[in-house]
Amino acid sequence: MVTKMVQINLKTKDIHISNLAKLVSGPNAILYKDEDLLAYDCDGFTIKRHLPRAVIFPKDTHEVSQIVKYCAKHNLPFLARGAGTGLSGGAIPLNNEVIISLVRMKRLLEIDLENRRAVVEPGFVNLKLTNSISDKGYYYAPDPSSQYACTIGGNVAENAGGAHCLKYGVTTNHILGLEVVLPNGDIIEIGKNGIPDAPGYDLLGLLTGSEGTLGIVTKITVRILKNPEAKQTVLAYFDKIDDGSKAVSDIISSGIVPAALEMMDKTAIEGVEAAAFPVGHPKDIEAVLLIEVDGITAGINDQINLILDVCQKRNVREVKAARDEAERGRWWANRKTGFGAMGAISPDYLVQDGVIPRSKLPEVLAKINQISEENGLRIANIFHAGDGNLHPLVLFDSRIPGETEKAIQAGSECLKACADVGGSITGEHGVGIEKKEEMRFVFHDHEIQAQTDIRDVFNPDYLLNAGKLFPAPGRCAEVKRELK
Amino acid sequence: MVELELLSCFNSVISEEQIQKNIFNCPLLGNNGRITVFPKTEQEISEILHNANEHQIKVNIMGGGTKRGYGGVEDSADLLLSLEQYKGVVEHSPSDMMITVKSGTTFKELQMFLKKYNQKVPLDPAWPNDATIGGVVAANDFGPKRLGYGSARDIVIGLQMVYPDGTLIRTGGKTVKNVAGYDMNKLFIGSMGTLGVISEITLKLRPLPKCESVILVFFPENNFDDIQSFTCNLLDSVMEPSALELFSPALAEKLTGNHAYMLAIAFEDVESSVRYQADFVKQNRPQKSTITILEQVKAHQFWDSAARIQPNGRNEAAEAKTRAALKIGVKNLDVLKVVKECHLHQDSLNLKVNAHGGLGHGLCKVDLTGAKEDVAAAIDSLRIFTEKLGGYAVFTHLPLVLRQQINVWGEKPAYFFLLDGIKTKVDPNRILNTGRFVGGI
Repeated sequence: MVTKMVQINLKTKDIHISNLAKLVSGPNAILYKDEDLLAYDCDGFTIKRHLPRAVIFPKDTHEVSQIVKYCAKHNLPFLARGAGTGLSGGAIPLNNEVIISLVRMKRLLEIDLENRRAVVEPGFVNLKLTNSISDKGYYYAPDPSSQYACTIGGNVAENAGGAHCLKYGVTTNHILGLEVVLPNGDIIEIGKNGIPDAPGYDLLGLLTGSEGTLGIVTKITVRILKNPEAKQTVLAYFDKIDDGSKAVSDIISSGIVPAALEMMDKTAIEGVEAAAFPVGHPKDIEAVLLIEVDGITAGINDQINLILDVCQKRNVREVKAARDEAERGRWWANRKTGFGAMGAISPDYLVQDGVIPRSKLPEVLAKINQISEENGLRIANIFHAGDGNLHPLVLFDSRIPGETEKAIQAGSECLKACADVGGSITGEHGVGIEKKEEMRFVFHDHEIQAQTDIRDVFNPDYLLNAGKLFPAPGRCAEVKRELK
Repeated sequence: MVELELLSCFNSVISEEQIQKNIFNCPLLGNNGRITVFPKTEQEISEILHNANEHQIKVNIMGGGTKRGYGGVEDSADLLLSLEQYKGVVEHSPSDMMITVKSGTTFKELQMFLKKYNQKVPLDPAWPNDATIGGVVAANDFGPKRLGYGSARDIVIGLQMVYPDGTLIRTGGKTVKNVAGYDMNKLFIGSMGTLGVISEITLKLRPLPKCESVILVFFPENNFDDIQSFTCNLLDSVMEPSALELFSPALAEKLTGNHAYMLAIAFEDVESSVRYQADFVKQNRPQKSTITILEQVKAHQFWDSAARIQPNGRNEAAEAKTRAALKIGVKNLDVLKVVKECHLHQDSLNLKVNAHGGLGHGLCKVDLTGAKEDVAAAIDSLRIFTEKLGGYAVFTHLPLVLRQQINVWGEKPAYFFLLDGIKTKVDPNRILNTGRFVGGI
């Protein structure tokens, strides 16, 4: 049987590939030639690469389970992949994994507006969900910048955030139920029917954000929300970055919970204005705030007035409200394409993702500026200021020998600066392979072990997505020396 | 282990007056301890657990004691670890809208502290005067405003845990977003103290609303179509209620004097917005309904009394009548069916039944009082009813003798081996709150 398949279909000597091919249906459901695998040697984190053993495309949960069972039985490392937009390298096959791509599982299975939930397959693209229900006045809240491409399965793995999670929370606050294929191939359902608080430890919360190391999500029940009656979006330009960051804290402490509160610094503005979606931000300011409030129409003006007051007190140069939906859309496009826009002013860039108590913004921004000067690399800041979630973008040129390493070093120093003020090394991009060692900035060894102990319950043979999320044991002493 | 030996394990760790015998002994509800210790510091908690673990001493954990009737099948463990002297604010950063508190702080103390800063923890658990924040988090308790603000799992951003061997483990952090490592907070929220003692809790705060009101809409009995269509209309509108809670007629009468199904709709925002939304309700309510609007202090008082309905394990003494409480989870709109079914049980089984549930989140709280056999029959039948709807029922308060006969948590889930695996990893000697949780964990 096995040999027959090889003769008919596949030009490979790898018996496992031939066997795996039998577990999936449809044409081109497995890739195994080097030239085909090249596209899968990294994800949105491009600094480390490795070829997978194969990429396989199951069409349903049963096929995923069969593939996983096969891999488990034959001791083959494997991992799951969505759209590959992850920024920390969580889907990079460091161990020559079999990649289980979930892009064929992209159906919207159910919409239940009355009970405010939808059921999707993991390959369903984030933005498509909102697009599918917007005509009825509903939306799906988590909105990572890559939402036009990223999948909801990937969002669950990374506990993705986005610009609007300040008021509405991140992915984990919107997941009601999951169907999961465990690393042994068993299929389990948690959060049955999307009903909250199923008796037992909160596996739903634990799996969300586990970066594909505990199981493979094959079906997701999400909460959907009613569109707010009104939205108002405001731009505020500041001559001094310090005023801008203090205004952020003041807005929040004034008792307003904005839907979004974003900030860009001078270098970032230079980038976005040179790229595909310029909106005419002045070049000589040090900071722009993009502030959105939403809610009941009758209350919007009160909120906006309070924000204007706060900005005036912090010496704002100019504040303007979006005139219409089109203008609001342009402002958001300018912001959401901000990372890519750095390509217009630098050959390469590295995105970081530190998070801090927002009152520490002025202090940490100054520190990042210092890191930039010390390393001789420009650092642009585009970030979710309201959440205290910084995205320092380290600009560099990989063609210059040593500069990539220097950029990585500068990025790591930015994370250290965040950790030092009581913050964390990642707010929404995940640890992946990128920030494994930086985990030690925030956790002691025994705290990391408490987490790997939990991983071992789910993933005892460690075939699923090994080498991610946690620093390698045994290197502790060495790394600690480096930090001193 | 004889009592003297037991005492000798702890008198090196804490002072004599922090160890007591025969205190808090509640034969009705169980979950007692042969001796009770009152640690005042994290260090003491850690050393107590460390010693207990070394000697395989079983430990029950208690905050305010409001949930003593929730889970557990033993009258007593060796040790009762009371956290009521472990309280206070560790750190409050008003501009970061964040607070870190010790777990023995009562919910009321926490809210009173924050009120000075125009802030609040956006939870509304039962018995706020007695319940500790640690207990609220450990049991994942919630109230009607879960619709607007979420539950402990949405609000807790960091925990300091004391593991059963005394090790201190920090989870999460002091930032509103954080995806470094697993979201271990979630593991401990709602874990009923079976994985560790919660020492410190960091919570996200919300500003106190500038204006708030609750609109009570009363429906003539049996007019369920009206309730359903009005609810759907409201949920499909752009109104933003922070609570949309249906109360059974008996409970509505207890709270307001009016015997009818009652929807309590809370709005919290700036004044103009609250008025506008109240107008929407006035204009769209069914013809045969009546309404009462409670504002500011009156609204607070209403929710406060609603939070004092269910049995409070701290005060329960053996009575002629048996009391039980249930948490029921169903799809949002099935709350209508559950509240109705509870009301019907009242007449058919000669019980007093109070039921309420959130139409925007699908969770109901029910309490029953009556003869033991009738209560047992009713909760059993309500569980069957709920499961037919695809939901679950957990018995959040029952006398010990009934908990020993009836499975409080329902059937084990198919993935029970994962839950058991987690317990075994974290508490290999099974010393903490033994048997208190799902499947006897």
